[in-house]
Amino acid sequence: MTKTLDFKFERTILASPGEVFDAWMNPEVPGTTWQKAEKFKLDVKVDGLYYWHINGKSIYGRFTEIERPSRIQYTWVSPNTLGLESTVTVTFSKKGESTLMTLQHSGLPDHELAMGHEKGWTHFLDIFPNQFGMRKSF
Amino acid sequence: MDQLSDILTAISHPSRRAILGQLARGPARFLDVAEPLDVSLNAVTKHLKLLERAGLISREKHGREVMISVRAQPLQMVANWVHEYERFWNESLDQFEQYFKDKKKKEKKR
Repeated sequence: MTKTLDFKFERTILASPGEVFDAWMNPEVPGTTWQKAEKFKLDVKVDGLYYWHINGKSIYGRFTEIERPSRIQYTWVSPNTLGLESTVTVTFSKKGESTLMTLQHSGLPDHELAMGHEKGWTHFLDIFPNQFGMRKSF
Repeated sequence: MDQLSDILTAISHPSRRAILGQLARGPARFLDVAEPLDVSLNAVTKHLKLLERAGLISREKHGREVMISVRAQPLQMVANWVHEYERFWNESLDQFEQYFKDKKKKEKKR
């Protein structure tokens, strides 16, 4: 079996889990994958399909779990996954007046690491000075 | 500092990368590590401390000798960090988070 990679991210967002959940599925909200798309289809229901297109790349998937407001899971097929389904799981839990949001992208084939590497470093060198400038201003 | 920062600090110095390169060929004693480097023993100790803090080397006692060996696994964190998906999701989530912050600000102004 091919080795796979997992990525996990966490954010605390100033809104209720329900609001954050709805925003994540709303194509008009910045930061959502759908909003970035040049073209997209979205059918939010279990076994519903989505499609989005950006920079010459198409990404497809299928919703596997929808439990508003706490959890949503969908598969993710892109040129980088070699036609295999990777999985995106997003959870939303109440944390005081905010929501703790976690996003896990798992089952990404490891070959991509090599591919992403070179691009990653150049990109990193490009953005690094900006990032630092940005952080300082906070 | 977090572990990723420790790792990046550790690999940012040519002497420390030379140490890792040497240890990649097999475990070595302190003096073996120091020998090819053109720096004081004191400096070598400092370099080793930084590498150890980042989890990139480990020391093990073998009788009277301490063997230093490399642990490459933490470097995976660096690789993951520069990975396309790592950036993609971080940028997306930052924007998403910002959207809510801006929304809150607007609400307060009203």
